[in-house]
Amino acid sequence: MAEMVRKAKTGEIVNHWVLAVSCILLIITGYAFLFQLKQIGALFGGFNAMKAVHNWAGVVFSLSLLATTYSYLSESLHLGPDDREWLRKGGGYLTRDKPVKIPPMGKLNTGQKLYYLAVLLGGIAIAVSGFVIWFWPDGRVIRIVSHLAHNLAFSLFIVAVPVHAYLGSLANPGTFRIMVYGTVPLEFARKKYPKWIEEMKRK
Amino acid sequence: MSTTPAANRKAILVTPEVCIGCRGCQTACKSWNQLPGIPTKNRGSAQNPPDLESNTYNIIRYSELPSENNPVRWLFISRRCMHCDDAGCMKICPAPGALYKTREGAVAFDRDKCIGCRLCVAGCPFDVPRYDKNNKVMKCHLCYDRIAEGLEPACSKACPTGALRFGDRDKLIESARKAGHEKIYGEADLGGLGSIFAFKDAPKIYGYAEKPGIPESVVFWHTVLKPFAVVGLGGAVAAALLHYVIVGPHREEEVQ
Ligand code: SF4
Ligand code: SF4
Ligand code: SF4
Repeated sequence: MAEMVRKAKTGEIVNHWVLAVSCILLIITGYAFLFQLKQIGALFGGFNAMKAVHNWAGVVFSLSLLATTYSYLSESLHLGPDDREWLRKGGGYLTRDKPVKIPPMGKLNTGQKLYYLAVLLGGIAIAVSGFVIWFWPDGRVIRIVSHLAHNLAFSLFIVAVPVHAYLGSLANPGTFRIMVYGTVPLEFARKKYPKWIEEMKRK
Repeated sequence: MSTTPAANRKAILVTPEVCIGCRGCQTACKSWNQLPGIPTKNRGSAQNPPDLESNTYNIIRYSELPSENNPVRWLFISRRCMHCDDAGCMKICPAPGALYKTREGAVAFDRDKCIGCRLCVAGCPFDVPRYDKNNKVMKCHLCYDRIAEGLEPACSKACPTGALRFGDRDKLIESARKAGHEKIYGEADLGGLGSIFAFKDAPKIYGYAEKPGIPESVVFWHTVLKPFAVVGLGGAVAAALLHYVIVGPHREEEVQ
């Protein structure tokens, strides 16, 4: 068997699943509230029960998002010239020429870093506004503002999440296993995350 | 964009200058709706409680204004749900059936269906919805239960002066016109209100906005963000599929 390297720790794998499942649950119930979808409400046992699911999934999502800062935040804030170049090349996603030529990436590529930062900021906005709607009953203006913030952040999630899911599975064969096992073959990692492998060697 | 057939539409016509401030309407509403009375405080005004509450669906606002002939001009203005045709509360509500419109154009509520999110107050141009201790919506429902049976609302029934008059909306507007009111507040605002006012002066003297409207952020959410929720998600999924078919996955990568 090929030599493997560990890219995600067990805790990170579990947390990513918690984040993903709570996020999808929130999106589904969110759509049901947005468009008063009675059939989806019935799946959860009515809108009152669905509200409880939405709120508590929101708590899980918020805590899980907080935990991700430990894994991804410092790496995501490291943006350099290679990242600029990566962006200029669209991450190699916009050409049919194979193999794609992109600048060397670290543990996370530019797109993943920017995605993480967007999800973190959007997540903070959606969580804070959600908790305000839940726990701050009085004040008409603050409810109007929170309602807008919650829905603006939602607009980000419904576009970013499916793209992220696609890029982490079908678009990049061999990467989905990280979400399950946390490991990838060393050879694969050398090509995909050369800077990260170099960094590990130095340590 | 009227959603209520005009033929059925009922309304309450409020004529502040005729009101004597007896608050019979406030009491009658509490009585019919079995809303608890609460000990009140003396705040130096007969306006009590100071605003709508979960147990108070209508109030008489007392305002004192200087006028040309008298040192003070007293105004008694009924405040209640406006039963908007284009109702912001219904627009923002996430729970089907929690707020609904009756054949007569009343915006009524169903407490079992209300999920207590307290968002309707954010969609209402008039800051009307209130919530009980379980966070369920409470507000004037135009006595939908009485009017469906051919009775008039408790408040207008109790009114001794005709300051509150209930009837067919068209007829009320016509009669107010005949009485010399050129402009009737609420005739066309928000698709037409179900509480209409025969003001003698500018609405703001009576405490009402000249041009009432659903908060702009709520309109933006309704007209832009809601459609985007469909187009955005559909577009993202379609883009991923197209990318997979046209460009194809990253099979190998090479460092430049
Ligand atoms: S006044 Fe407010 S609560 Fe009443 S129908 Fe209009 S939007 Fe709804
Ligand atoms: S509090 Fe009740 S009626 Fe008001 S928006 Fe929420 S679910 Fe609808
Ligand atoms: S119409 Fe009925 S519910 Fe509304 S204020 Fe009058 S008595 Fe109360």
